[in-house]
Amino acid sequence: MKLLVVDDDAIVIKSCRRILEAEGFEVTTVPSADEALEKVKYYEFDLLLMDVKMPKHDGIFLMREIKKNWPDIPIIVMSGYPTPETIADVLKLGATQFIPKPFRPDELIKVVRQVLQKTLKKDSFPTGAGG
Amino acid sequence: MFYSTRSKLILSFLGISFLVCGVALLVGGQLLYKTVLNEAYTRISLDLNAAREIYLSRIKGIKIALNITSVGPIFKTALEKHDVQTLVNRLNVVAQQTELDFMGVVSKDGKTLCRIGPNSFPKGNTPENPIANLVIQKQVAVSGTVILSNAFLFAENPELAERARIKLLPTKMATPRPEIEELSGMALAAAVPIFDAGTFHGVLYGGVLLNRSQEIVDRVRDTVFQHEIYKGQSIGTATIFFKDIRISTNVLAPDGSRAIGTVGSEEVTKYVLTDGKKWTDRAFVVNDWYITAYEPIEDIFGQRVGMLYTGVLEAKYADVRWKALSLFILITVAGMVFAIGLGYIIANKMSRPVQQLIEASHQVSQGNLSPEIGPISKSEIGVLQKTFKEMLTSIQERDERLKKESEIKLLQSEKQASIGKLAGGVAHEINNPLTGIFTFTHMLLRRNDIPEEVRSDLETIAQETERVRKIVKGLLDFSRQTELDREPTDVNRLVRQTMTLVENQALIKGVNLTFESGDGLPLVTLDRNQMQSVLLNIIINALDATDPGGSITVSTNVGISTSHPGQNGVEILCTDTGCGISPENLNKLFDPFFTTKEVGQGTGLGLSVSYGIVERHGGTIWVQSKVGKGSTFKVWLPTEEKRTENEIISRG
Repeated sequence: MKLLVVDDDAIVIKSCRRILEAEGFEVTTVPSADEALEKVKYYEFDLLLMDVKMPKHDGIFLMREIKKNWPDIPIIVMSGYPTPETIADVLKLGATQFIPKPFRPDELIKVVRQVLQKTLKKDSFPTGAGG
Repeated sequence: MFYSTRSKLILSFLGISFLVCGVALLVGGQLLYKTVLNEAYTRISLDLNAAREIYLSRIKGIKIALNITSVGPIFKTALEKHDVQTLVNRLNVVAQQTELDFMGVVSKDGKTLCRIGPNSFPKGNTPENPIANLVIQKQVAVSGTVILSNAFLFAENPELAERARIKLLPTKMATPRPEIEELSGMALAAAVPIFDAGTFHGVLYGGVLLNRSQEIVDRVRDTVFQHEIYKGQSIGTATIFFKDIRISTNVLAPDGSRAIGTVGSEEVTKYVLTDGKKWTDRAFVVNDWYITAYEPIEDIFGQRVGMLYTGVLEAKYADVRWKALSLFILITVAGMVFAIGLGYIIANKMSRPVQQLIEASHQVSQGNLSPEIGPISKSEIGVLQKTFKEMLTSIQERDERLKKESEIKLLQSEKQASIGKLAGGVAHEINNPLTGIFTFTHMLLRRNDIPEEVRSDLETIAQETERVRKIVKGLLDFSRQTELDREPTDVNRLVRQTMTLVENQALIKGVNLTFESGDGLPLVTLDRNQMQSVLLNIIINALDATDPGGSITVSTNVGISTSHPGQNGVEILCTDTGCGISPENLNKLFDPFFTTKEVGQGTGLGLSVSYGIVERHGGTIWVQSKVGKGSTFKVWLPTEEKRTENEIISRG
């Protein structure tokens, strides 16, 4: 499973990488929306884990671009400022799940697995067995 | 302008003065004049009596003079001796002294022996002497009014005959008559029989001719009317009529001469002369209206031969009336002028403070809360002025209080907003490193090869990080201005629901928790979840502050806002018997992060968040506290009446 983590804060990148790699995921990390788009262009990912608040282009912009060009990639949005409005906006734009920061490893793992399982189920019937 | 107080006041004053003066005018003009007129009639009637007395006394005077003369020895001797010269001399003296016009002696056979005048010793037949003849016939003294023929008068004295001849002058109201001259004379005369030792010797007669005589009428005028002059004319007049002809009068003709020869009015003549009655009324005399009295004059034979008249000019009374009327009119006009003046002054005096109050109100409406209202009046207006002043003072006070309150509120809001922003920013920044701490602590804890000591330490780190997460979450909740999800709510039910959540805690702590629900509370549109957290916060705080054995009473009421005048609402009170809040802490109570609880027991955000929630509901939160006695928290929430009504209708 290939996961792309997008966050401008190094400690978040580091944490995510640590948790997810321990779970056996293949983790790619980028610090900005633009770089994330570059990566998505050339590599295939099973899941996108992204921050909302980032300098230059933010998570909302990134999510719109992804949904426009690669609508099948499931997205988990994480935010350190989890207002109901933000959560509602993000889910409306097509995020599969939302996770507020800070999170414990088990919380992140739980969400990631939930999302992957959902997409797998969705994919398994029309395209046959995947993963 | 016409409806102003001043006009009304002046009009009412005018009305009163008009009424009073109008009545006075009516009473004065009519009643008074009538009384005066009646008085005048009575007076003229009395005057006529006096005139009669004068008339009769003159007759009496003549009679006495003749009597005295007849008994004198000189006279008797001369008569006995037929010494006519002596007689005439004697007669002349008496006649001169008593002002007789004619006097003479008649023998017992009716012949004139002698007389005064130019023809003292008549020869041959003499004209009939009516009064002497009556005495000869009756043998007693006679006196009174006598009509004398022209022939008699001529015989006595041609001058008398000339005096008696009166040319008739027509007047407006007189009976028209054929003759143009009156030749007979009317006289006051007396005649006494002369006896000597029982033998009748003759008659002594004498008298005054009334025709053109001024004596009696002027004496009446001068004694009775005291020669009162009105507009150059004597007010009182007296007249002796022969038949209806004025033969002796001081009534003046238009040319200023005495109106001798004028004829009395037909009406009066008929009433007095024909019917023999006394006349007292106004009458037209010569050419003026008089208030008059007439009575008939009878001669010695008992025939009505003339009239005696007294009269006063009606003009005088009319003038009195006119004078009275003018005086009353003058008083009326003066009263009106006075009323207008007084009304004006009083209205001014009354309306000046009112005007000033109006001006002051105008200024107040323009924002000037300390306008000039002038000196305080002593009347009811003064009460108004004082009340107005008090009102202004209380408005000012309220203004200041509201200003202060809103300043405090603004300050609180600003504080909240800025701290909210800060908290939001800080929370956001803290959440990233917290993620790191969480991650690596838990990753370490997953390992099985770490000693128990290290695991314990790591668990502490994990726990405390969890605490930090909670604090930051609280901060974020505080900074978040979440929209209210409002719906009409039964406040009593909400409170009851909230209280069930803390019932167990209270029970465990041994604090008596009671609820007194108010009756007739309207529904309040509110966010149930948020308001519940507010109530929960307040009750938990109370519970924390109250020692075992104490009590917490929550009650609800219909309440009117103190800071939003006239707005209805519902208040929720939470009173505890706890430790109370010190005055210095009372001011900081709603500040974010303010807490008196021990570290780890509270974030200090609860009341601050509650404040924000209540504020967003348009309500207020208020605390009263006494250290050692306890605190009362009051949450006031406005009811939106219209919405509530609609709610009821749609539900019904």
